[in-house]
Amino acid sequence: MLFGPLGPSLAPYIKPSRSLYKWIKPIADWYANAAGYRKYGFKYDDLLVEERPDVQRALLRLSPHEKYDRAFRLKRASQASVQHAPLPREEWTKAAEDTRYLRTHVLDVVKENNERTMWDTIVIERK
Amino acid sequence: MLPARASTLRNFHRVARSFATVADTAGVRVASVDHGQPTSSVTILVKAGSRFQPKAGLAHSLKNFAFKSTAKRSALGIVRESELYGGVLSSNLTREHLALTAEFMRGDEQFFVDVLSSFITSAKYTRHEYEEYVRPLVKAEAEAAVFDPSTQAIEHAHALAFRSGLGSSLFAPTHNTITVEDIKLYATSVFTKDNLVVLGTGIDQTTLSKLVERAFASTSSATSSSQASKYYGGETRVESLSSPQTVFIGFGTTGAPSADVAALAAHLSPTPSVKWSQGTSPIAASIPKDSSVQTIHLPYSDATLFGLLVQGATPASVKEAGKVAVQALKSATSGIKAEELQRAVAKAKFSTATNLDGRFGLVSVLGPKILGGADASVETSLSSFNGVSASSVSKTASTMLSGKPTFVAVGEIGSLPHADELGL
Repeated sequence: MLFGPLGPSLAPYIKPSRSLYKWIKPIADWYANAAGYRKYGFKYDDLLVEERPDVQRALLRLSPHEKYDRAFRLKRASQASVQHAPLPREEWTKAAEDTRYLRTHVLDVVKENNERTMWDTIVIERK
Repeated sequence: MLPARASTLRNFHRVARSFATVADTAGVRVASVDHGQPTSSVTILVKAGSRFQPKAGLAHSLKNFAFKSTAKRSALGIVRESELYGGVLSSNLTREHLALTAEFMRGDEQFFVDVLSSFITSAKYTRHEYEEYVRPLVKAEAEAAVFDPSTQAIEHAHALAFRSGLGSSLFAPTHNTITVEDIKLYATSVFTKDNLVVLGTGIDQTTLSKLVERAFASTSSATSSSQASKYYGGETRVESLSSPQTVFIGFGTTGAPSADVAALAAHLSPTPSVKWSQGTSPIAASIPKDSSVQTIHLPYSDATLFGLLVQGATPASVKEAGKVAVQALKSATSGIKAEELQRAVAKAKFSTATNLDGRFGLVSVLGPKILGGADASVETSLSSFNGVSASSVSKTASTMLSGKPTFVAVGEIGSLPHADELGL
């Protein structure tokens, strides 16, 4: 998934090991806060590169409520950017709110595309 | 020697053509016929027609959800894999039943029974599939139905004749509030063991039973129910720009469908037995050239809708043809001749029998009987005509005419006739 829609991630290799996970988690939490997107009211999945067909397809699968909220966050953040200041502290995204709402949809689309490629290139042997 | 062999052959076919045995496999009824066709088909017939839907359009949506992704395969996988096997998957909705059918080469039954049963047991009903594939299809089908005057006339006739239950439309409303959750809930309520029957043609009963047993092991059992049908009748007129001009004159009966109505329909039907000829029906000779009359006979489990579908290029010709049709029906009440009856019964018998010859007819006629627990054989379907007499047919016609007719006009409603203008 190095060049996939979700970008490179070491999480799948770290998560199985409990001790490694315990060491890395605080650093990851610190990094997510330090990245600064939460100050602009974003969730992590708002930052996914959306200029690609699979993410576009995943975006269509959000529920109307999720679509509305996403558009709201993008508008609020661009307004904050225009004003050259982060949002007031009470509007920052809390760690618990920073959910991966788009990830499952993106993974579904990737899986479907892979399956389509598989069926397109399948070699059939008659027995 | 030869005649004897011919008769055994005939007997063999008679036995083989009907679903003689219905096996109860793990709570699911399985019936199968095999008379050596090169292809097999398996149909899962479910009591999930529009009659049982709690919300308008649910049955139609569920029908179009067939063969979408399940826990075992994705929608794409189902399509591609059945293409590799060379099979055809289809779903068909009637007012009482939803039929999921797979037709395939002999020997591929394991895969196709699995495709059918996995939709029943483990369909996912994802929201994006509903939005991307199912809803556009439902909408397109409903819109196409609006532009077909005969379909529209029969839809409205059902709504007038039976109101709820059988009266509910086969098609989803163009603007509806159906969600995937609704469809999922409806599916879990109708996809139960007692509600479905598995019918096979060109497949061995034991093979099919074995496959079914494995597939439906975990399905629950409950039956869907709806209140008994009641006939109301009434008149409606629907403005429509699509041609031909259409009038439907219908009559309903409740209770199990009788052979008398089928014989009456055959008696009135102006469809000739020889192509390009006029036929001997009382209607065919006197209707205008640019009009047509069809008899519509729709038997359901506890009611029958019988009617005359009059179509023509102009409202005037529809009016004239409608008068002729009503007159023919009225003259049937005052008794029909013995030879006419013989002809009608022979015609009705033949159309029943020829319908049962094909795979679709076998499944759509005998399948519901198996679901209803009735004797499902070709013999009983044909022997019901033995009790038909001239007096019983004319009595049926007069009881129908004494009730309130269902009258639907579709087209230029300004000039299409009203029920009283046709002599009803």
